[in-house]
Amino acid sequence: MQVFHIRYRNAQGTLMRILNAVSRRGLDLTSVHAEYAGHDHAVTLLLDVTHKQIGQLYREWHAIVDVIEVRSSAILREQAEAAWAAHPPASEIVAPQSARAALA
Amino acid sequence: MLKGAEIVLRCVRAEGVDLVFGYPGGAIMPLYDALEGSGVRHVLTRHEQGAVFAAEGYARVTGKVGVAMATSGPGATNLVTGIADAKMDSVPLVCITGQVRTAMIGTDAFQETDVFGVTLSLTKWSRLVRTIDEIPEVIAEGFYWARSGRPGPVLIDIPTDILKAKKEFSGPVKFTPHARPAEAKADGAFSDTIVALLQRASKPVALVGAGAKLSGAVPELRGLLDDLNVPTFATVHGLGAVPPQSPYYLGMVGMHGTRAANTALHETDLLLVFGARLDDRVTGDPTRFAPHAKIVHFEIDPAQLDRVRACELPVIGNLADTIPAFHAELRDASLPDWSGWRAIACGPERAELDPRGLAQPTIRFLDELFSRLPQDSVVIADVGQHQMWAAQRHRSSSPRGFITSGGLGAMGFALPAAVGVQLAKPETCVLCVSGDGGFQMNIQELATVHRLGLPIKMVIVDNKYLGMVRQWQQLFYARNYAETDLSDNPDFVEIAKAYKIHGWRLNEAAMLEYPVSAETGDLIENFLRSPEPELLVFDCAPEANVYPMVPAGAALSEMVFEDE
Repeated sequence: MQVFHIRYRNAQGTLMRILNAVSRRGLDLTSVHAEYAGHDHAVTLLLDVTHKQIGQLYREWHAIVDVIEVRSSAILREQAEAAWAAHPPASEIVAPQSARAALA
Repeated sequence: MLKGAEIVLRCVRAEGVDLVFGYPGGAIMPLYDALEGSGVRHVLTRHEQGAVFAAEGYARVTGKVGVAMATSGPGATNLVTGIADAKMDSVPLVCITGQVRTAMIGTDAFQETDVFGVTLSLTKWSRLVRTIDEIPEVIAEGFYWARSGRPGPVLIDIPTDILKAKKEFSGPVKFTPHARPAEAKADGAFSDTIVALLQRASKPVALVGAGAKLSGAVPELRGLLDDLNVPTFATVHGLGAVPPQSPYYLGMVGMHGTRAANTALHETDLLLVFGARLDDRVTGDPTRFAPHAKIVHFEIDPAQLDRVRACELPVIGNLADTIPAFHAELRDASLPDWSGWRAIACGPERAELDPRGLAQPTIRFLDELFSRLPQDSVVIADVGQHQMWAAQRHRSSSPRGFITSGGLGAMGFALPAAVGVQLAKPETCVLCVSGDGGFQMNIQELATVHRLGLPIKMVIVDNKYLGMVRQWQQLFYARNYAETDLSDNPDFVEIAKAYKIHGWRLNEAAMLEYPVSAETGDLIENFLRSPEPELLVFDCAPEANVYPMVPAGAALSEMVFEDE
């Protein structure tokens, strides 16, 4: 598992371009967390990638004009599992509320 | 007060654009309404794909940004293949699309397509304009990214209500890119390292790609190569960067490259790459590509490094900067004597077959055509067998003299691209070489050629097959010619006539005598010298193949030749 930290300007489509670089390689997005970070935005991605893919992704992200910085580091398997076990599907939280509101 | 559409055109004009290609429709009508008096000439193609390929042709031959316009929905999606083509081949392109009204976006309105989303992975940069106030900044930024660094396609999607809205316009703006942390860039030390590598090398070679042209570094590159004097070859997009008569030049490399180029590339122990992506059509099996070589890769786009094969020394930066820096270092260096290697790599044993000997008639035909072209002519090849024959046989010193869809391999490219080239170079002889399959993919642009009276010389190499696919079916699918038969092709000469374009026909028999008869020679001369658009159909043997060929998955050293 590899964790990538990408700092970017939150211009239209920049986050999607970052994610496209992953999806075009048929990789599963184990975890994605994007947020405002100071003057810019940052996204943290957890991916199961080969050594070759790390280099390719790194350079492809860097070629996106609104990407500012790309960093990466290895992550322990336990951390990875914890990272993506922690988020229940949004539908479990939202759907019952919506249904109740609709039925009211 | 100006309308949004007028502001768009003023900003586009301020970017130096005086010619755009397009096709009108509902959502982009306000922009068309504002064209008259804008100083921007619009060329109506007969399909949006024709418009985007024409814009590409214009951009490829001039180095300027090409501009294509289309309406929302199907108009926009018809641009997609051209956008993908521009991305692959690093073509500066701006596509402006109309979009449904802002309030209707996301409602699946009539002719609504999320073209911004559709093209995200194909564009270098894109914007959906949200207010009239954004227009000047968006246009300026779009053109900046289209032409900066590694050029590429940009999409600007403008809702129709924004095109109709009005505001005070204070003039076009200039875009200044945001500061980025220091980018990886070659420092001065790389030259020392390359010199050291050269001093240890016994079989160095150079590979030239499109980057040498795009960076405007062709004179610098030629000077460097003359001093290096090592066997040199080019990718399909690198053709013309090195004068073909150079004694060290071995022609095109890759799947249909020359015997000499592919063999030298397989044997080399030091490969200098100048602005090439090293894609699979160049490398063959990447695990056996240049197996003995260290690779030095001059490249502006770091994303292109190590994609297929890792390089030992990346030299990141504009070739217009890095080549002179390296050349300066080289002048004082003492280099080994590579004359023995050069004699083998460039020697007669590896030379191509004599076209007067075993070469097949289509190659002779292309040789006849190319030998009669004026010096500064531009050849545009479509995609398929004729493309590779043309790339193998066209010998021009003009860096922008051979244009084709190389990376994407988009059939139907050549005719509309030739429209763009001829409009950019009205005095130049423009020769468009297509196959019978590809020509029919954008055959409607004969109407554009006729309306504009463009003196394009169009050649159809008609083998009544989708020839390249058929060749693969023959060689790798036991001659199962599934759905590649075009034996019921229309009469292209009659079709040309319907568009009021004069048509000619020549068959293989005319090429069996050498030299060709006076009658055949006159026909070709008259075809090329006519001041009008002309179409020439060359009836080619159905099962003629392109050789040499490196089968998919094979190493460059495993080329297949015609007599094998």
